[in-house]
Amino acid sequence: MPISSFYCLQTSLRGLLAQQRALDTTGHNIANASTQGYSRQEAVLAAAPATWIPQGAVQGGAGAHLGAGVDVQAYRRVRDTFLDLQYRAQATRLGEASARAEGLDRAELALAEPSDDGINKQLSEFWDAWSDLANSPDDAAARQSLVEKAGALAEAFATVDRQFELVGEQAQSEYDALTAAGGEVETTAREIAALNDTIKRFVTAGDVPNDLMDQRDLLLDKLSSLGTTSITSFADGTVEVVFGGAGDPPMIDATGYHAPTLSNPGGRLGALRDLATVPGGAIDSFRQELGTVAQTLASSINAIHGTPFFTVTHAPPASYGAASIAVAVTPATVRADASGDKGANKIALAIAELRGKQPDSAYNAFIARVGVEVRESVRQEANAQALTDAVLDRRESVAGVSLDEEMGNIIKFQRAYQASSRAMSTMDEMLDVLINRTGRVGL
Amino acid sequence: MANTRITTGMTQRNVLADLNRVNERLVRTQQKVASNKEITRPSDDPFHTSRALALRTSMEGTQQYQRNIEDAQGWQETAEQALSTITEAIHRARELATQGATDTTDPVAREAIAHELDQLIESVKQSANTTYRGRYVFSGTTTDVAPYGTTDAYAGSATDIERQIGPGVAITLTVVGSTVLGGGQAAADGKPLHVLRDIADHLRANDGAALRADLGRLETNLDDLLGTRALNGARQNRLEAAGTRLDAIEESTLKQLSITEDADIAKTLIEFSSQQAAYQAALKAGANIVQNSLMDFLR
Repeated sequence: MPISSFYCLQTSLRGLLAQQRALDTTGHNIANASTQGYSRQEAVLAAAPATWIPQGAVQGGAGAHLGAGVDVQAYRRVRDTFLDLQYRAQATRLGEASARAEGLDRAELALAEPSDDGINKQLSEFWDAWSDLANSPDDAAARQSLVEKAGALAEAFATVDRQFELVGEQAQSEYDALTAAGGEVETTAREIAALNDTIKRFVTAGDVPNDLMDQRDLLLDKLSSLGTTSITSFADGTVEVVFGGAGDPPMIDATGYHAPTLSNPGGRLGALRDLATVPGGAIDSFRQELGTVAQTLASSINAIHGTPFFTVTHAPPASYGAASIAVAVTPATVRADASGDKGANKIALAIAELRGKQPDSAYNAFIARVGVEVRESVRQEANAQALTDAVLDRRESVAGVSLDEEMGNIIKFQRAYQASSRAMSTMDEMLDVLINRTGRVGL
Repeated sequence: MANTRITTGMTQRNVLADLNRVNERLVRTQQKVASNKEITRPSDDPFHTSRALALRTSMEGTQQYQRNIEDAQGWQETAEQALSTITEAIHRARELATQGATDTTDPVAREAIAHELDQLIESVKQSANTTYRGRYVFSGTTTDVAPYGTTDAYAGSATDIERQIGPGVAITLTVVGSTVLGGGQAAADGKPLHVLRDIADHLRANDGAALRADLGRLETNLDDLLGTRALNGARQNRLEAAGTRLDAIEESTLKQLSITEDADIAKTLIEFSSQQAAYQAALKAGANIVQNSLMDFLR
């Protein structure tokens, strides 16, 4: 069976076109080298279906497959979905660790320790005032100063407690803002649902909308730092997303967006919820402990003073000790001694002796615990950050655009293009000989 | 991973992340240098923070004890001066009584001596009414009540006052007036006021034998007074010793606090320069790696 003389022209043309498409893809990659969430693409080239010559193609009369050039089989998105899975798990951890570290960090700053502005300093000055009263039990100024120092100490407790409360409130309001109707969770989820629809239309028509899938993956990444995600992909290109709790009904499915149940959100939302939970949350436990310290202080002083010196109601969550501690005496009713003698100072002496004892050590223990907690949260954040970076590196290694590689590809495709066109012009010259010069002998 | 593709984005991100890390360390060290503190917040070192807080409390306590001691010393000195005046007065009374006890002294002279004794008794009572910063030092806990009024009866309290001069350490500050001078003839306690009044009476009664007996009692009183002054002196010594000890404690606490809390400047500065060098190296390496690309070599 004869083979067309123009066969090679077609083969070369395919080559030219395919290299052009490959160059197009390279151009697209370079243009998107710094686009967030972009996965590099490649034109998958494959030999075009060969022309089958049933017989007489080779010596002996057998048939053969004659190569027909190259075709672009697909434009592939280079991406490893397993790494996506790993990345999202780490992003959830990182979101949780960093939100927790931020909240605890603010709580720690509120303590202002060790410094000359913290409760420790106020306690010291309070003990000093008792010593001064013991030195001059009849001195109105010493009494006045003691009551003022006691007031300042109570205020320091209340201020720190209020700061803690604020941290909790801020966490709660951020949680509310994220999960509210029109909040970040819903907006992101609705975008994903919309992309689901578009992608489905293309996939059903046989196309692969690479760039839309990149966009959707980016949104899923964002979602996974807010809370735990469980993502199931379907053959029609859509994804189903369960968000904020393993057993919850899907937030995004084939019918679109549904408000999430958030039974166990994890991620940033989980950390915020833990910071804000009353009673039992991280901040609440600080407030309770500080309240206990205030209560210890009040009860050890009241026991010696005889009449209530401080009033305190520590019954969380209704009332916290540190917020409610207040001075119950006036300079005139401060008791320096049980007897009415002007110079007697047994009570004042006994209270001054409390310096460095239980109230102080309870407060110190509390500070140490906050320190340990904050240090641990910072360590966890650093740890999560390192793991996330490592996964990100591996993902980037697969999906990221390497400009050097693209440069190499440009040369590769350019040369292939040039060679294809050379093949074509060679063919052209051959045909020129055949058409214009053959059979012109003697002319 | 042998065949890791290193992409442009990766390089840029890693360079940035590394620079950030080095820079963060640099800023932290710079803070240490500027604040001269190793610990600026509890999470820097929870254990040492707790220690630093305890040391600060103990520092403040030590300073307060030192103030207490100063106050107590002032009180003791006042009491000592009064006791010394009282002792002098009683010495003078003994001289007068010895003179009056001699049978060659006539009743008129005895009357004159008795008159002088009355004056001495008043001056002794006045000395006993000495105040320190407005408080009667010989009144026990009732510092607002003068120990002796117009009568010889002791009007103060029998309870002593204490001062705190260390954690768990208190010192008795007061000498109760009634143990020094007694309550006069009505109390019949053999203390100076009682004896002096007796002597004056016996002088007026012209009773030489009783006067000679009184001299012996006065001698006992002087011995007691000496004992009281010795006790007071011992307290002053104790206060002084406690003050010196507190100075030493303050110094060592300050040193420990500094070890716990303060940054080692030499070490920190060396760290700072080495981190600075690391930062510059990272900047240089980063700038080079980000700039270069295959494009520079293709044409």
